[in-house]
Amino acid sequence: MNKALRNPVVFTLFVVPALILFLMFFIYPIFSSIYYSFTSWNGVSATVKYTGFSNYTKAFGDERFWISVKNNGWFILFSVFIQVPLIVIFSLLIANVKKLKGLYKTAVFMPSIMSTAVIGILWGFIYEPNIGLFNKLLSLVGINPVYWLSDERFAMLSILITNAWQWTGFYIVMVLAAILSIPGELDEAAAIDGATRFQRATRITLPLIVPIISVVIMLSIAGAMKAADIVIVMTKGGPAGSTEVMATYMIKYAITNFKYGYGNAIAVLIFAFTLVVTVLYQVLIARRTERVEY
Amino acid sequence: MRTLKKSLPHVILLGYLLVILFPFLFVLFSSVKKDNNAIALNPFGIPKEFVFNNYVEAWVNAKISTYFFNSLYISVLSSVVSILLASMFAFAITRMRQGKWNTILFSLVLVGMLIPNNALMLPIYNIVRKLGILNTHWALIIPYIANAIPFTIIILAAFMRSLPSEIEEAAVMDGLNAPGIFARIIVPLTVPAMVTVFIVNFLGNWNEFLLANYFLSNDELRTLPVGMVQFRDQYQMNYAQMSAGIVYSVLPVVVIYAILQEKIIEGVTAGSVKG
Repeated sequence: MNKALRNPVVFTLFVVPALILFLMFFIYPIFSSIYYSFTSWNGVSATVKYTGFSNYTKAFGDERFWISVKNNGWFILFSVFIQVPLIVIFSLLIANVKKLKGLYKTAVFMPSIMSTAVIGILWGFIYEPNIGLFNKLLSLVGINPVYWLSDERFAMLSILITNAWQWTGFYIVMVLAAILSIPGELDEAAAIDGATRFQRATRITLPLIVPIISVVIMLSIAGAMKAADIVIVMTKGGPAGSTEVMATYMIKYAITNFKYGYGNAIAVLIFAFTLVVTVLYQVLIARRTERVEY
Repeated sequence: MRTLKKSLPHVILLGYLLVILFPFLFVLFSSVKKDNNAIALNPFGIPKEFVFNNYVEAWVNAKISTYFFNSLYISVLSSVVSILLASMFAFAITRMRQGKWNTILFSLVLVGMLIPNNALMLPIYNIVRKLGILNTHWALIIPYIANAIPFTIIILAAFMRSLPSEIEEAAVMDGLNAPGIFARIIVPLTVPAMVTVFIVNFLGNWNEFLLANYFLSNDELRTLPVGMVQFRDQYQMNYAQMSAGIVYSVLPVVVIYAILQEKIIEGVTAGSVKG
């Protein structure tokens, strides 16, 4: 009786359009990247010259490449050691207040739905040396203007702060949803046993949200490896290449300087590094934290 | 002491709220100040006299209307086509009985979710160039459609799988064929999930910067985020006018967010689980 739903022609017609796009824009690019990473192709000429591993050895020998790797590392460290603790503290606080819960949630989430480009412009204004908000605040306590985005000592930090400002609220809402889905009886039972609010938050809620914190860390690592538009908008990788990340380094060579083969080698390295960091995190940390069932 | 303990969380949270909202207020106030000098003299407060000319100037200089409609139609068209193609695919693999093919195709799509898509930008640039659509809106629309497909399929397939199978059994009895079941029965039932994925896809496309920045060079074709960055680079010295430009580009998102916040939060956080 289900003949209509077994029709292979209809099945094929329904599957093929999405499948073609998927193969074209997800699967083919991976192999294409790997292939061109072994060539010195400039992206336009008719001949493609095979050059073995020379693109990779060139990247490993380039100090600027390592600066960009280090900056991706800063993104990861800043997310994991500064943002994640803040996310946990703020979500616990929001979960425990009775009034204004909705307002806090709505407001902190807002920056994450906005365009990173526009956020970058907005914060560029805040960091502006002469009339920007930061230096005006600092001048109230008598500190001289700081050139946030054009001083090598502060440029990367300024970008990291902006990035954290945009994304912290997003993760807070995720963690908050996990906290609010914990059955209330657990908390009530602890309260009857005389646990204080602080004890309940740290001994009951916190262990129960470890899995979602792990998800947040994984997402932050993935986000950190992808970071590019915020750097392009705020500093274009400057001053003197000090804020370059792997993705902007890749774009700079492949699109701006026509070193398509070399750019693809960087793309493959981004893949490889993301894989390594994710696997390391899973093996070293995520596996050790025991899962709590409730 | 008790009241202090009770109000401390609110003090901390209101402080955080201030950190989030003050940059927006700073831009809003700056946008109605006369010039950089007026901003420098009174950076934090509401201006003494309101200058709305910045909005007129920014609208013209930043070509907000052009960029806005480019962004709007590219984002809507790409999101709708993604949903159409993905829902057909999801229907086929969840409701049509093709044995092992269903599993193979679904696993393939799952692999797509694990790929960091920024790293695919160069080959995509090359594909777009070979198709001869570089520097046209298709250079964004087609990659945007493709990029959203794995996530859209996964959400819609999960939803379609949860629908009871008696539905089609009755429809088959009534003589409907597979496309008929899809269009008349499954799609109407899937609308709530489609709204969620539409929001996620739309916001992703609306905010997309990298492809939009490098795949288009004609000014008339630019989308809002790229147009705004270019506007900033040109009028960097005039912060009052730039602030008005920022207000124009942030305002529509804030208004939509104010109306649809629950749905948006639900959709975007569901989307993040893709990683």
